Amino acid sequence: MLELILQALFSGVLQGGSYALIALGLALVFGTMKVINLAHGELVLLAAYIAYTVESSLGVNPVFAIPLALLIVCAAAVLVYFLVDLIRQDRELNSLLLTYGIAIILTNAIQLIWSADIRSTGSAWFQEPVVIGPLYSMRSELVFFVVSLALMTGLWWWLSRSWYGRAVRAVSSQRDAAKLMGVNPRKTELVSFIVASILASFAGVALFSYGVIQPSYGHVLTVKAFIITVLAGMGSIPGVLVGALLLGVTEALTVTLASSALQELAGMCLFLLVLFVMPNGLFGAAGRRG
Amino acid sequence: MNRLYKKTVGLTLLAGLFLGCGVAAAKEFLVGVEIPLTGSLARVGAGMNEGISVAVDIFNKTNGKHTIKTIVIDDESAPAKAIAAVEKLASQEVVAISGGYGSNNIAPASDAANKLGLPYITSGGVDDSLVARGYKTFFRINNTVGYQKAMVGLIDALKVKSASIVYSTKEATANLAKDVEKELTTKGFKVGMHAFDPAITDFKPIINKIKLQDKPEVILMCGYENDYVGILRAAKVLKPKVKAMIGVWSLATAKMAADFPDLMPWVYGTALLPFPAEFKTADGKLFAETYQKLYNKEPDYLGQFGYVQSLLLFEAIARAADNDTLHKGGVAEELRKTDRETLVGRVQFNDKGDNINFVHRMGQHQNGKIGIVWPSEAANAKPNFPAVPW
Amino acid sequence: MKTNASIWVLLLVAYGAIPLTLGSNHYVMSLLVAALVIGGIALAWALLGNLGGMVSFGHSAFFGVGAYVSALLTLKAGTPIVIAMLLGGVGALLASLVMLPVLRLRGPYFALAILAYAHIFKIIATEWTAVTGGSAGLSSIPRFPTAFGFDFSGKVGSYLIILSVVLIFALCYRLIRASDYGIALRAMHDSEDATRVIGVNSVLLKALMLFVSAFMTGVIGAFNAHYINFLEPDYAFNGLWVTLPIVAAIFGGYRTILGPLIGAVTVYLIDQLVFKSLIPYGHQLILGALLVAMILFSPSGLVPLLRASVRRNHAAG
Repeated sequence: MLELILQALFSGVLQGGSYALIALGLALVFGTMKVINLAHGELVLLAAYIAYTVESSLGVNPVFAIPLALLIVCAAAVLVYFLVDLIRQDRELNSLLLTYGIAIILTNAIQLIWSADIRSTGSAWFQEPVVIGPLYSMRSELVFFVVSLALMTGLWWWLSRSWYGRAVRAVSSQRDAAKLMGVNPRKTELVSFIVASILASFAGVALFSYGVIQPSYGHVLTVKAFIITVLAGMGSIPGVLVGALLLGVTEALTVTLASSALQELAGMCLFLLVLFVMPNGLFGAAGRRG
Repeated sequence: MNRLYKKTVGLTLLAGLFLGCGVAAAKEFLVGVEIPLTGSLARVGAGMNEGISVAVDIFNKTNGKHTIKTIVIDDESAPAKAIAAVEKLASQEVVAISGGYGSNNIAPASDAANKLGLPYITSGGVDDSLVARGYKTFFRINNTVGYQKAMVGLIDALKVKSASIVYSTKEATANLAKDVEKELTTKGFKVGMHAFDPAITDFKPIINKIKLQDKPEVILMCGYENDYVGILRAAKVLKPKVKAMIGVWSLATAKMAADFPDLMPWVYGTALLPFPAEFKTADGKLFAETYQKLYNKEPDYLGQFGYVQSLLLFEAIARAADNDTLHKGGVAEELRKTDRETLVGRVQFNDKGDNINFVHRMGQHQNGKIGIVWPSEAANAKPNFPAVPW
Repeated sequence: MKTNASIWVLLLVAYGAIPLTLGSNHYVMSLLVAALVIGGIALAWALLGNLGGMVSFGHSAFFGVGAYVSALLTLKAGTPIVIAMLLGGVGALLASLVMLPVLRLRGPYFALAILAYAHIFKIIATEWTAVTGGSAGLSSIPRFPTAFGFDFSGKVGSYLIILSVVLIFALCYRLIRASDYGIALRAMHDSEDATRVIGVNSVLLKALMLFVSAFMTGVIGAFNAHYINFLEPDYAFNGLWVTLPIVAAIFGGYRTILGPLIGAVTVYLIDQLVFKSLIPYGHQLILGALLVAMILFSPSGLVPLLRASVRRNHAAG
């Protein structure tokens, strides 16, 4: 039993690392713009499909798709930003509907371009098992877990040290005060959108390398990312990591201790529980209640 | 409104004329295809649709006397749209309908077809409730029992005594898993059951449970392609000490062998034909050639089922036309008289429209090929046992 | 005066002209029934949005619960369909009780928290096999009966039922909006803090609107179960029961009463009759684009836009 639980914890942590990468972008944009980009999961999926195209047409490891994915996903994200920026009234709710519409467009476009077949990497190197004592994982999971941690550290450094990073944080916490201090909030929002799309590109390539993708999967990713953002509390990078790990571990333990049919239920219940008990998330400041 | 009214009257008159003339003059028959091409069932629907197109091509070339034209409508994997599709097809004067995927779409669609008196034939729904309705117009060439017989048959042949079943909570997979469990338990097997939510992606915790707690001789998988990939990857990492990995549909296919070459070795799944296809009959050879010509790829099981269901239907239409009973319920009557060898084995329908002979075959991935290993009379290869992908 | 007259004409067309001229065309009738189902949800969704100020992505929860309750009551307890449908609505209302805690949340949180409920209900429907039949679903759900010598299970009968249900809901919506509650709710829109000061309990009002919206959606779900005669968790709690109504409500104008209805019928018919023939596979893409365009250029919908342009023409003329 102990061995089972250990493996479940390990699997859950690895899964959590990949969830974190997906959720970070959503949390960042939500922090600066108070906009939940419901097309975020589709952007991640887009990067994953680009990785598929690169792997299948050039026969190279999917990580080489990252530059191309960055280019296309960033362009798409900038487009989303400008559309959101066009909203004139009640941005908080209208942006939700707008990005929902974009998500529908992207899902169908992906299906038209890449068909409904399931895709996953054929790279044998990525699928090799790695065994650490009693713990088992796939190489791709470990690799991208490390990448995810590195990106998070980089992001944390950027937010706390660089000028733009500080501006993003300033806009997140006190938009009006930031404006007075000479920060252009619109420019900052655009920057946060671009950083989010960089994270989404990596997340997408990672997803293709350890999981299976299909066109309808984007919605699932967005919901997972949102759950983690809620668990984290607004704009908290460590919060996103902790929230993602918590979700991953909860799911894995549900499978081990109860039934795998209840995994999704456990995730949703965790989400609601945190909303009720700690409405500001694990690390967030006040402001979620209406 | 006036224009619409005129149009309706016009259509009715036209329909009357058509009926009045009888069918002797018309040699091209319209057949409706109601099938999911978008939505959750897009992939399987598209596969079946390819088979239907092949059937049209072949029928029109070989029949000599009659020709068939199909009208395809995407039901978007949604029941209300499946009903609308059937009704639209009826208004376009089709004589019968081929297609449908997923019991929740087929049930209402065939219901609508039954009300309109249109024969409906499918291979996309294995739920028993479909035939329990006892419609005179409903036919299907496959069923859960056929899959169950194949799975249990293979397990018997391999002489194992314990199994763990990993299955998706979706309708068809859950039904099959429970039926197989029941049969194995009565045979004195030790069976572990592991249901999973279709949204799950990491199967390691489940496989680890099987590895450390169940310790079965074989793992049975009832899922879809994405599930198989996840399960096999997890198993490849954890290496449970089992003797075989056995799945059902969408697994022992050329596509899976090509897309996931290092996951598939020695995995079992239902398969109608070996790969590369060895067609012994003239019918089978023609099918493979035509499929290759139209789609430039090897036929898969979805195409084969779609082809068989459609060809049986077209032949029934031709017979009904010859007997001049086309508009007197002749197509359903002729379908019920069907008794012929096909790519999916001998087909005969009972009074509820179920194919009484349907037994699937089991194939095994062997060095990039797929060998049929059960039942023995159809087998072209010996099962490599025990053997797993790792 | 003028709006009254146009409503009478509309009713005459809906109850008289359409069944008489198109009644024999099964295809068009089934499109209309499906459009009205979407319209009914859109109306309930817009009621919550307009009066309650809440955007929901989880209305499929109410739709599914209503469908299951009504189907199970008729199948297992032999309840007459009319009563079962109403109880389906009550079931959805009860389901909304567990959502009360999320009412305190701000817009985006509420919108997605309610989606979590839809997921939870779907998993319960899948796992509670003894009652719901699990993923195999329920089949042979009773059809609408023959009453007053008229077969309501046919296309025209189903059309008349759903049309009446939706119009009654529209009337209820109108009454609520004109009531004291409605006035308080609209005041709340402008400034929630201010209304709180003058003693309006905003959470209670929001909760009432959630109940009404849930009840309506539940009844529509129940109708659909008896119309399609088949139910399974994936279908009953499908995300499509949210997507299309949202597009329809935004298109028609979610601040108006008839906007969502007109939007649903227009969008559904155009989608099925025009878009589908333009792009046979993947025409939802256009729906997404339509939603984006509406939010950007006319967030209050097409009906108010048209009305405004008519008024402008009048003024000019």
